[in-house]
Amino acid sequence: MSFALEAEGLTKTYGAVRALDDLTLKIPAGGVFGVLGPNGAGKSTLFRIAMGLVRPTSGVARLSGAPAGHVSSLRQVGAMIETPRYPPYLTARDALKMLALQSGAQDADIGGWLERVGLSDAADRKTSTFSVGMKQRLGLAAVFFTRPSLAILDEPTSGMDPAGIQEIRELIRRLAAEEGATIILASHQLDEVRRVCDRVAILSKGKLVAEGPVETLAGRKPALRLVASPVAQVLELLGDQGRADGPDAVLAQIERNEAPALIRALVNAGVDIHEARWREADLESAYLDILQAKEPADAR
Amino acid sequence: MLVDALAAERFRLLKDRGTVFWGVLFAPIAGLVLTIGGELFARRLMKGAPPIPVDLVGRMVKALAGGASPVMGLFVLILSAAVLAGDYRWETWRLLTPRNGRVNLLLAKLATAAIAVAVSLVLYALAAALGGLFSAATSGGAFVAYRGEALTDLAGTFAISWLQLVVLVALAALVGVATRSTMGALIVGLVFAAAQSMVATWMHEPSLKALLLPAFSGDLLKTALLQDRSVVDEPLPWAKALAFLLAWAVGLSAAALALFQRQDLTRE
Repeated sequence: MSFALEAEGLTKTYGAVRALDDLTLKIPAGGVFGVLGPNGAGKSTLFRIAMGLVRPTSGVARLSGAPAGHVSSLRQVGAMIETPRYPPYLTARDALKMLALQSGAQDADIGGWLERVGLSDAADRKTSTFSVGMKQRLGLAAVFFTRPSLAILDEPTSGMDPAGIQEIRELIRRLAAEEGATIILASHQLDEVRRVCDRVAILSKGKLVAEGPVETLAGRKPALRLVASPVAQVLELLGDQGRADGPDAVLAQIERNEAPALIRALVNAGVDIHEARWREADLESAYLDILQAKEPADAR
Repeated sequence: MLVDALAAERFRLLKDRGTVFWGVLFAPIAGLVLTIGGELFARRLMKGAPPIPVDLVGRMVKALAGGASPVMGLFVLILSAAVLAGDYRWETWRLLTPRNGRVNLLLAKLATAAIAVAVSLVLYALAAALGGLFSAATSGGAFVAYRGEALTDLAGTFAISWLQLVVLVALAALVGVATRSTMGALIVGLVFAAAQSMVATWMHEPSLKALLLPAFSGDLLKTALLQDRSVVDEPLPWAKALAFLLAWAVGLSAAALALFQRQDLTRE
């Protein structure tokens, strides 16, 4: 199996802060791979190391088997790390021309790519006049116009309005399908990752806490959410199978056929049940579960 | 490849009209305007004085010899700061470093700035010649031949002043990378240019200390090139002066490259 991005024991410290903490992760080539994690989880640092922008404190990163940051490997990669910025005196067309020259790709179809990302009408406008969404679209053109085998997109929809997010998400999906490149996508938008990615890695505090196919991670057991009082009594009855979900609710990790018996038992115990609803497993709850499980472990 | 990075930098600089105007064109234009203005002013003061003969090559040599002054240095530093440290200001290194090697990227910037400085110097000399043509055309002054080796003196003064200015370019590269700031590169470069120029005027003997100053070494080289000297005069240590100037340019550039090569571009 070939890997698009490999990290082995990767550590990066900024003073006392460990942005990456002995991270080992292998992202297979092909498909769309999501990297999830809260702010400060180390996603951008991982990508910056992969792109040679930042040097690791220790450990190794490889892009398609070659050392990360090496020109030979970088030329097969397109990256958009955080909100893209451009020299303000360049137009969109000039910015792509400059990047094409820099990449040695003089034959790049700049006009075609501007059209594909919906910037034909603004091609000769200075990028300093662009909205965040337009800059992101130009960033996507800059990622894909040299036809890389790997595209790294770090928060490609950050700072955008819902309509813009929808538009960029569509664009990424379309480009991934049409270009056939491996795409690594970091995002806070769990829905975006669920819709676009095949596999996901979840980072927390610079470490890998979960990794696998989206459906496997999201496909954890559904839970019965009970809004009831007193909550303490419900938790006592459920034991290890229950956990609080806010101040007045409990998530019961039980099988569907156990629900009637549980509700009966709770009513018999004098618990008032205001609401009982199955919460289907999704990536968001899986993500939150994993991070919540990580917190107490770190506290210990 | 370096050739790709050079093409990209050249393309980019030509699109940056503000930097091209202030860093390349302003000094020659200002030089021409001042020459013509001065000429008209002098003629008004000295009405009836016979026209002054015009030595076009001499004017160009003089302009080139004075082409590394701190004032010229200011405009070179504006150019250098924009070319060499602009990517920190615009946070655009992240766009460039994945597309070419870091050494290539910075070398291309150094070369682009050095070429732009050369163009500016040539324009500065041509502006001086244009001023001479204006003087001859309006005052009726006759053209006179240059007393000296025209080509050698033109090429020599150009090369020495260019090398002195390249030292400023290299300094701007180092300070720009170290401070990640265009303003840092500009201010430190300007202080250096002004301070070395002042200190150089106080020094008379070509001691090692004096030769360490690019301004002194440059002036010594120009003196060796242009001044008639008799056999009894002490020979000028021009080779040492040239070596020091080259060492400044190469040393500062190498330091900038080494620093940039190891630099984390977390937030440019």
